[in-house]
Amino acid sequence: MSDIAFRDVTRVFQRDGTDFLTLDHISFDVRDREFVALVGPSGCGKTTCLRMAAGLEFPTSGTVSVGGKPVERPGPDRAVVFQQFALFPWKNVYENIDFGLRSKGMPEAARRERIARQVELMGLQGYESAYPHQLSGGMQQRVAIARSYVLDPDVLLMDEPFGALDAQTRVVMQEELIKLSRVNPRTVLFITHAVDEAVFLADRVAVMTRRPGRIREIVDVAKVREAEHWDRYERTEEVMDQESFVHLRTRIWRMLREQQPQEAALET
Amino acid sequence: MNPKGRPEGESAAKRAARRIVKLSRPSTWAGVATFVVLFAAWYVLTTLTQTIGSGRFPSPGETWEAFEQIALTGYADARLVAHVLHSVKLVLLGFAAATLVGVPLGLAMGASRSVEAFVNPAFLLIRPIPPLAWIPLAIVWLGLGDAAKVLIIWFAAFVPAVINSYSGVRTIEPYLIEAARMLGVPRRLFVREVLIPGALPMIFTGLRLSLQACWTTLVAGELIGAIAGLGHVLYQASLDIFPAMIVVGMAAVAITAAVMTIALGVVERRAMPWRSTR
Repeated sequence: MSDIAFRDVTRVFQRDGTDFLTLDHISFDVRDREFVALVGPSGCGKTTCLRMAAGLEFPTSGTVSVGGKPVERPGPDRAVVFQQFALFPWKNVYENIDFGLRSKGMPEAARRERIARQVELMGLQGYESAYPHQLSGGMQQRVAIARSYVLDPDVLLMDEPFGALDAQTRVVMQEELIKLSRVNPRTVLFITHAVDEAVFLADRVAVMTRRPGRIREIVDVAKVREAEHWDRYERTEEVMDQESFVHLRTRIWRMLREQQPQEAALET
Repeated sequence: MNPKGRPEGESAAKRAARRIVKLSRPSTWAGVATFVVLFAAWYVLTTLTQTIGSGRFPSPGETWEAFEQIALTGYADARLVAHVLHSVKLVLLGFAAATLVGVPLGLAMGASRSVEAFVNPAFLLIRPIPPLAWIPLAIVWLGLGDAAKVLIIWFAAFVPAVINSYSGVRTIEPYLIEAARMLGVPRRLFVREVLIPGALPMIFTGLRLSLQACWTTLVAGELIGAIAGLGHVLYQASLDIFPAMIVVGMAAVAITAAVMTIALGVVERRAMPWRSTR
């Protein structure tokens, strides 16, 4: 079992001697092998939630646990795909994907085989010895995802992984992610700005309020997906054409819209 | 660029061609032109019009004669080659010692808050002392021999090596350190494959400054008391009121230091292949 449980999580951070409440008594779960997308206005604490599950930040009060154990430190059982890719510039594609496996002390033959599989899956053949700066943003993100997948983690934490990609690449990556999670379902916490993406990918979508972040509502997409048989369709645009899809998307959009006016005031 | 971006794939002929292209750049010729103008002015002022007397600054002819003298028969107890080798030896010893101590210390200060807390106050205290101010103490401790000079050079090179290695670690993107923690990279691997390569650009900036400081202090150290070396040549030439030899000594320092800087640049490019494929 590798579920993620947020229990009554509050997070206060200090800047210039003032306390800012970023997360206000948040409780929700990502069940074992469930794909949950977290959407909300910018600055609402989505990334903080993900970083707490990763063990890179800690709650001021409340608990975040994975598989029933409170998160104490980062580790390869909870692979993070960072927004900024976070590839090591001095390592080529192969070495970047290899780094986590080497850290585990896996024998070389096994590593080579697993890396080859990821390279093929992500369409990175021929680029193994390229350095990250020689690749486009889309390719860099494939490497970052491959680096996480290759660890075969129980939990995947993805922080706007497709945010920096152009529209076409983004759709391709979304479809690939769907395929991958059908073959090998994992517990995924996925952060995005894009409501389309959230509804397309997730089993459930958790909608957050503006700061201080709370859970506004959790929308059960899987129920609709099964009832309406979205998996009949191969392509993103076909699913996105379904009335049930449009309906869900609009519902989530409305929830986010309610946050907007004050959000605009906050930005100025 | 090919997808693998491999510079090894480039043929020798292509590389040679690129070097020629580099030579034909206007900026290269601008530099050459400056040299030509300076040399012409030197020749005209000292030889043709004799506006500048040879007691103040030597003519090109006198300088060449002084060069021939020191190169062939020797001056200040040795030939030019021996003086250069002696100075290079001291610089390399001091520079190597400073690198071996300074870079690890700087890395440790950058990586560990507690090392920083212990070392930084002492470091901040001794850092503003000009390296040359250590000369008297070095002489008292080690006498007028080479050991004292190596100590002073070591000290001059040590400070930039520490500071830049330290800030090299501090400028590593925090998300790279988080990525390494997430991947479960063990300590030793982290130091070798994240910390050091991440700090390497700044480390080399520090080493370039160190090398420069080495030469400054070497010449100063040898001016005060030495039996050989380029600083000793300069000192002897000033006692002998021999301007041509002074110029030869200065040119020798300039050329030797430049060669060492270029060599360091080669090492730098070799050490960071991911940068040269840009």
